[in-house]
Amino acid sequence: MASITLDKITKTYPNDVTAVNGVSLDIRDGEFMIFLGPSGCGKSTTLRMIAGLEAISSGDLLIGGRRVNEVDPADRDIAIVFQNYALYPHMTVARNLAFGLRLRHVEASEIQSRITRVAALLGIEPLLSRKPSQLSGGQRQRVALGRALVREPQAFLLDEPLSNLDATLRASMRTELIKLHNSLGTTIVHVTHDQVEAMTMGERICIMRDGDIVQVGAPMEVYRNPADTFVASFLATPPMNLLPGRIESDGDGLAAVVETCRLPIPAAYREAYASHAGKPVIVGLRPEDFQAVAVGGGRTAPVALHTITTEVLGPEVILVANFASPGGPEVHIRMPRDFRAKTGETVTLHFDLPEIQVFDPGTTRVLARPFLP
Amino acid sequence: MSQPSTMEAADRRFGWFMSAPGLALLLAVILFPVFWALFTSVHEFTLIAPNFDTFTGIENYAAALGDPAFRHSLGLTAFFVGAVVLIEFAIGFLVALMLNGVERFKPIYYGILLCPLLMNPVIVGLIWRMFLHPSLGIVNYLLTVAGFEPVNWLGSTKMAIWTIIMVDIWHQVSFMIVLLLAGLSSLPKEPYEAARVDGASVFQSFFFITLPLMMPVIIVTLLIRMIFAVKTYDLIYIMTRGGPGVATDLVSYAIYRTAFVSLNIGEASAMSAILLAVILIFTGYLYRYMRTLT
Repeated sequence: MASITLDKITKTYPNDVTAVNGVSLDIRDGEFMIFLGPSGCGKSTTLRMIAGLEAISSGDLLIGGRRVNEVDPADRDIAIVFQNYALYPHMTVARNLAFGLRLRHVEASEIQSRITRVAALLGIEPLLSRKPSQLSGGQRQRVALGRALVREPQAFLLDEPLSNLDATLRASMRTELIKLHNSLGTTIVHVTHDQVEAMTMGERICIMRDGDIVQVGAPMEVYRNPADTFVASFLATPPMNLLPGRIESDGDGLAAVVETCRLPIPAAYREAYASHAGKPVIVGLRPEDFQAVAVGGGRTAPVALHTITTEVLGPEVILVANFASPGGPEVHIRMPRDFRAKTGETVTLHFDLPEIQVFDPGTTRVLARPFLP
Repeated sequence: MSQPSTMEAADRRFGWFMSAPGLALLLAVILFPVFWALFTSVHEFTLIAPNFDTFTGIENYAAALGDPAFRHSLGLTAFFVGAVVLIEFAIGFLVALMLNGVERFKPIYYGILLCPLLMNPVIVGLIWRMFLHPSLGIVNYLLTVAGFEPVNWLGSTKMAIWTIIMVDIWHQVSFMIVLLLAGLSSLPKEPYEAARVDGASVFQSFFFITLPLMMPVIIVTLLIRMIFAVKTYDLIYIMTRGGPGVATDLVSYAIYRTAFVSLNIGEASAMSAILLAVILIFTGYLYRYMRTLT
């Protein structure tokens, strides 16, 4: 097991395209770290640099405290699981698992016992004599994982390992990976563009965009305190509603004003938002922070919503509506499963004010306010 | 139930109807000559007495196989095919591996490689006969300029077959390169990365991944090249006429001589049938192998 430290890591390709731009990150020993971002954000390139499959243009990479920039992938003691599994097509499953160990001159009896152990762990014993072409996607995925496990490396690097699986299988493999991490305790770096994977699996999420790290933190921390509008709109489905508005003085307090709707700012946030009084801002409201019933003590504020449509999903209903006025910005709101509204109907819901987020429209950065627990 | 089957029958009839002209043509120009030759091979048919009056059974076959000259031709052809295919494969695979790593000017390399392949064997033979002329050829001129003894390329019984082999390699090696290169460039890239992380050196990657993954392409390429090499005729006709003596008397040329110099069409047909059988064995194996791939 080992920590992984990235210190101002940059990847510039010969055609002057910068894929990763001075990224610094400390991945703790035994941590389950997620790299999350849209395609082309540099997350896979970063992972490949950690693996040693891409040369590092500048900056330092340390695995277990040792600088490994120029160390061959084979000698970094890491294992990688590729998106398309990259199994050796001409070898049986057993030989696929054994290949890395045989190259390292591990004793045959030791290889056998490790294969037996890993095969039992992943439930692939019946497949050992088959070739990859005779396996289903999920089975190949397990074999690829098994090939990484038998090596017993210091860290696992997973490059979108679940993205080629169907939804059901993906959900069950998510759980299995978490269980695996709990039992092994090995450092895992998992790259994904799927925010559900990121939220459910990681101890910390590192969100990347255009080769930069936008935010690093525990899933709920990032979800509740997004660093900018990109993070706010990337995590969770439906994403945070981002509405153009203003901060205005409201007696001795402040209010966020969107269209005709005034949302009083809780006293704890006044100091943080005071400098933006009278200025345009982006107001962020999570779809799940609306409720049908008002809470006393000024905790909620009423909002008029003009129904466009409702999406009945089963466990919940998504209300799509114009905010505050019939021509207002479109918002998505998550309601309980028995909620119903007709097209054109005006619904009054109550927004949970402490959940409000305000972003600077110029920089798109959040206006720092006291963190929510 | 009956509706689809009648439609199927109608479809089938239409299919036969549409392919009939093509099939008839194939029958006339390929199958008919083959059977005519097989029929000839069991008769005493010579150009002096061109008739089917004397049925001789397997006599022509026995005569051909009993003839030391024909057996020599068969052996020489086997040697020639073996040498040509193996050397071309070795050079071809090496060049293909090198070209596979090249990114820039790929089309230019391809263009240069394909040049010899586009040339007619007769032209190739003529060019090389001039190059290798003992006293007027540029090759011997360059050798003497460099201080070496001139070589009797086509006039020496020891050297002639190797000269033919070299010219054939010059002419056909690009075929190997192009086919093997196509195979190499279609290999998946990911297993190589997995192998790098697994700790494989460049040579281990080659032996444990490239070679096994390339096996189907290699076998198909070797077999096709073998089948073509067995039929080599034009180079011999232009460059040596099977000589000096019988030093380059490959089987195709031997058959030609039997038929049109000795005028013994019957025996030549028997020889052709034997050659056909050998090629069919290769082809059958190739066909079976290619079926196991899919």
